[in-house]
Amino acid sequence: MPVGAAVAAGVLAVLVLGALIGPVLRPARVDLDRVYAAPSLAHPMGADGSGRDLLAMVLSAMRVSLVISVLAAAVAVAVGVTIGAVAGILGRWADALTMRFIDFMASQNHFLFAILLVVLFRPVLGGQGAVLLSVGLTHWTTVARIIRSELLSLRTRPFIAAAIGGGAGRWRLFRRHLLPHLAPATITAMILLVPHAIFHESGLSFLGLGLPAHRASLGNMLADSQHAIYAGAWWTVLYPGLVIFALAASVGTLGEWLRDRTQPRWRSELQL
Amino acid sequence: MTGTKTSHAVTTTAATGPEPGAPALLVDGLSVRFATAGRVVTALLGVDLRLAAGETMVVAGESGSGKSVLAAAVLRNLPGNATASGTVWVRGEELSSLPPAAQRRFRRRHVAYIPQSPATALNPVRRVGSLLMELARARGLTGPAATAALESALGALDLDFHDVARRYPHQLSGGMQQRVLNAVAMVGEPALVIADEPTSGLDPDLVEATAAGLSKLAERGAGLLVITHDLRLARRLGGRLALLYGSHLVESRPTERFFDAPAHPYGRGLLAAMPEHGGVPIPGQPPELTALPEGCPFQPRCPVRIDACDGPMPEPVPVAGDAPAPGWVRCYRHHRGGGDA
Amino acid sequence: MLRRTRGGRSPSSTWAMIGRRLLALPVVLLAVAAFTFFLARVSPRDPVQSYATVQSTVRQQTAEEIAAAWGLNEPPHRQFLSWLGNLLRGDLGNSRLLGGQPVLDEIGARLLPSAVLVGAALLLVLVGGLLAGTAAAAFRDTWVDRAVRTLCYVNLAAPSFWIGLLMIWVFAIQLGWLPPGGMTDPRAVDPPLVDLRHLILPALTLAAAQHAWFTLYVRNTVLSVRQDDYVRFAEASGLGRGTVLFRHALPNALLPFLTLTGAHLAELIGGTVLAETIFGWPGVGQLAVQAALAADLPLLLAITLAGSVLVVLGNLTADVSYRIADPRVREPAL
Repeated sequence: MPVGAAVAAGVLAVLVLGALIGPVLRPARVDLDRVYAAPSLAHPMGADGSGRDLLAMVLSAMRVSLVISVLAAAVAVAVGVTIGAVAGILGRWADALTMRFIDFMASQNHFLFAILLVVLFRPVLGGQGAVLLSVGLTHWTTVARIIRSELLSLRTRPFIAAAIGGGAGRWRLFRRHLLPHLAPATITAMILLVPHAIFHESGLSFLGLGLPAHRASLGNMLADSQHAIYAGAWWTVLYPGLVIFALAASVGTLGEWLRDRTQPRWRSELQL
Repeated sequence: MTGTKTSHAVTTTAATGPEPGAPALLVDGLSVRFATAGRVVTALLGVDLRLAAGETMVVAGESGSGKSVLAAAVLRNLPGNATASGTVWVRGEELSSLPPAAQRRFRRRHVAYIPQSPATALNPVRRVGSLLMELARARGLTGPAATAALESALGALDLDFHDVARRYPHQLSGGMQQRVLNAVAMVGEPALVIADEPTSGLDPDLVEATAAGLSKLAERGAGLLVITHDLRLARRLGGRLALLYGSHLVESRPTERFFDAPAHPYGRGLLAAMPEHGGVPIPGQPPELTALPEGCPFQPRCPVRIDACDGPMPEPVPVAGDAPAPGWVRCYRHHRGGGDA
Repeated sequence: MLRRTRGGRSPSSTWAMIGRRLLALPVVLLAVAAFTFFLARVSPRDPVQSYATVQSTVRQQTAEEIAAAWGLNEPPHRQFLSWLGNLLRGDLGNSRLLGGQPVLDEIGARLLPSAVLVGAALLLVLVGGLLAGTAAAAFRDTWVDRAVRTLCYVNLAAPSFWIGLLMIWVFAIQLGWLPPGGMTDPRAVDPPLVDLRHLILPALTLAAAQHAWFTLYVRNTVLSVRQDDYVRFAEASGLGRGTVLFRHALPNALLPFLTLTGAHLAELIGGTVLAETIFGWPGVGQLAVQAALAADLPLLLAITLAGSVLVVLGNLTADVSYRIADPRVREPAL
């Protein structure tokens, strides 16, 4: 394991541990005597506009953001695998049509589209569900391309021909023979999507279109900080953003290391 | 490529220029190794060359013998994964001792290079005229002087400068691309010309015109190093012939004498493989540079090999009767003053 | 590689391509329109009810009147056709957010500020990326290269709106050099069309999202072009470093960037949403957020459609300029 990936793994382990036990060790309480208190020994990240300890807020926000990002990446991968599998298994006109659709979706701006999805689906799914759906439906294109090309190259391999010769049906073929081969690629693609999901969740929440304002999420904290910086509370901007940065950088570095190890061909295909 | 030297150093070294009377090219113990995928590939091993001003030398060998690496190494234009050892002097100037900027200045003024694969060597997004003027300027010619020089050089190879100049490289045929590169090497007064397969893709009368142009350069005092697999071109150019096999030079002879009596079994094999000598190919395949055999690289294919051939590579032995200059061969079966045992 | 796999290498095919793509534009738009309409239909959001939340409570009878007025009781395909018909006549509906104003007028009024912002950011991305990427490639494996690459990786992991907020804190609040928001000085009697001081921070924020990978792309392409035969020939001929880089390597490396610029446009247009919100820039992106927060669907759908049109046109422009720039495509082999 190279130094960069090892450092990233260490940083990520600390962050995940903090997200798991932090909220237990450091519950956030409203304390109006500490409104916008500057960082000190007792409160290393200072306090927010309600006098809550910022470190405690950041830790619980990180938990929320991490869980949502991983789930959102999983939704995107599920959509991508499904569409990629349809193209790769059916082939011919279904493949051509799907590729057109993928190209079109990939060329469009996904953030505007994500906003539209959130607005449409927030009333039933709630903020969290709408974010999951919107990230899932806007980030699947690279996954679908990868799955499709993996399937197309798998189809030419002898053991697949043997299975077809043995009379395996399409679905059985996919489940028993193709799916196991796609697993490493799928997992790698999902990890590489997590930083994007973090950006999208925090961006949507920052705009007031993501998680409900009362839930501690990194995007909501940054939205609050927009006003707080005018009160001089720079720490409300610095630390939540720094955590997003650390999460995205460590997960991204680990994902790229995994990709280079397991999928060296992707470098050109997946520009993340 | 690394570091920058002061402009002072640049001007002093450039002012010395080529040393008159020094050999156009002197190569001493040149070895080149490539590091690829954890393995080391030896492309050249202990190559010695001496090419006087006005002299012609043809380095011949099959593809994969390392002959293009020789050109790149002399030009100090090896890819990043290559390491070279040994020394190269051009007109008495040891290029590696100069700062990078002075090296470039010396090379563009005094060394002309005709690259292999003309189809990809011309910049595809620039008009041929702009490329030609740039190369002429590099050799110290500007304005009308450059135009005149290019007109006559291209004219000698049956090309019209003004017609070619306004085209893009993809609008020239393969033969025209080759002739453009050949012609630009003949512009100005280069001290050393290195030509890598200069006649590939040309029909016989253009080969003749190219050979005549190259010979004229040598007459004007340039050292001419031609790298080719074409023995007929070697015979046409005359001068001296060196055979490269499996990253070693195995024979170096006056060209006339080589065609009279090749000394190395590989040389004899090459001659026999020429159509006019029956066209019998040498049995076996040239060695992969990744897996050179022990001892003499030719011994697995050699019809006269002996047990000693497994041992260290034989030292060069003079070939008796070579004139005007002495020739040598590296073979255990060759004995001083006589042919094979 | 991109530039080697582009088909259709003759000038007449350039015009054919433009024609084909322009003809396909309505089809693409129809697809986007149908897709967004479909989403709006499957969405559980009741348009009347969302209108009601804006207007406090609505009696059942009023709700039915509204639904009838908007044609919401019609079957879906009729609704779509009438919506599409309106679309073709340039009527994208009326915005509830803006008190019944036609959507198109409002978007039109906001287009110029957004165009200024996107243009400035694109300029920053292209110029900055070219300079930094070329420098990193020219000084490969030196401190220059390492510094550029480190900055890029940092930039890639930092969300651009966070960078924007940090810049507000540093340059507007702490140093007081630049205004923290708005497009012009509200106190100005006769404000200029574009106030550079107000433009700098939003444009930097918008550019920050695209700058890193563009720089890395330039670096890698220049490095790969330097392995090409014509560059190695130029080097072997002893041409100067600057000549080799700027006259031989860069012109070739730049060709694929033209196509890439089209792809960047989509991301930049989307990025305006965050940048304009942070800096109170009165453009379409800010309008989109306002529309989204007010659940003003006609306005939001119209902005999404407009975004798609711009992206398609941007990609077309990029592809055409690529064909004009590459002599192998522009001029036929003889």
